[in-house]
Amino acid sequence: MATVSTSIRMQPDAKELDTVFEEVHEFANKADLPEGLVFQLKLILEELALNVINYGNKGGTEPIEIRLAAQGETIVVEISDVGQPFDPLKDAPAPDLELSLEERPIGGLGLYLVKTMVDEMHYRWEDGRNHLTLITRVLA
Amino acid sequence: MDITSQRTDGALIVSAEGRVDGANARKFQKAVENVIGDGDSAVVLDMESLSYISSAGLRSILLIAKGLQKRNSKFAVCSLQGPIREVFRIVGFDKIVSIYDSQGDAVKALGG
Repeated sequence: MATVSTSIRMQPDAKELDTVFEEVHEFANKADLPEGLVFQLKLILEELALNVINYGNKGGTEPIEIRLAAQGETIVVEISDVGQPFDPLKDAPAPDLELSLEERPIGGLGLYLVKTMVDEMHYRWEDGRNHLTLITRVLA
Repeated sequence: MDITSQRTDGALIVSAEGRVDGANARKFQKAVENVIGDGDSAVVLDMESLSYISSAGLRSILLIAKGLQKRNSKFAVCSLQGPIREVFRIVGFDKIVSIYDSQGDAVKALGG
């Protein structure tokens, strides 16, 4: 089965999201992905990249490396950065969704959204970089 | 991202178009807050033409909702596209913000 893949080097600036989203659209067209999945991929990449830009490597200038690959029904997203070691599986608490509007804190929703949208998430720290691999499957 | 606003049947309707992401969420929030007048006791955010929202945009909506609650104004969102409705459900916003299928339904529920 043919694999469609693309690599994106994102400069650590929220303004770069435009470029990343364009690349996602191009990748999705080539891999013939459904529209709902395009939304998911954009969201996953934005949340993870902005987490690096705003927290993990605030003020850093090193690019964030992204790779997207589609093989059949499986989509693999890989993202790596040189920020502080951060494992979203362990270091990001789940929000309390039962609180009232008044009690709900600001923030903490991005990584939670990512976790709910993928089937698998693997983290490793290697060669001074965070490496996160996410796997999601296209629902037929 | 563009926003337009109008007043109908006792409610201020703010329509958002395009996407609200980490690059423009603050601008979006300011723009919405700027069109809300002191006399507006009911505000509906119409998301029919909104194609994308991330946690940065959700944060803005939460802050807008909290601000309106503090001054005892009503707030609702309407006409959410499929993936945006799903995002609202995942983060539990459907429990803290009133969601309506259409602008008409939202105005009927809030205004008057």
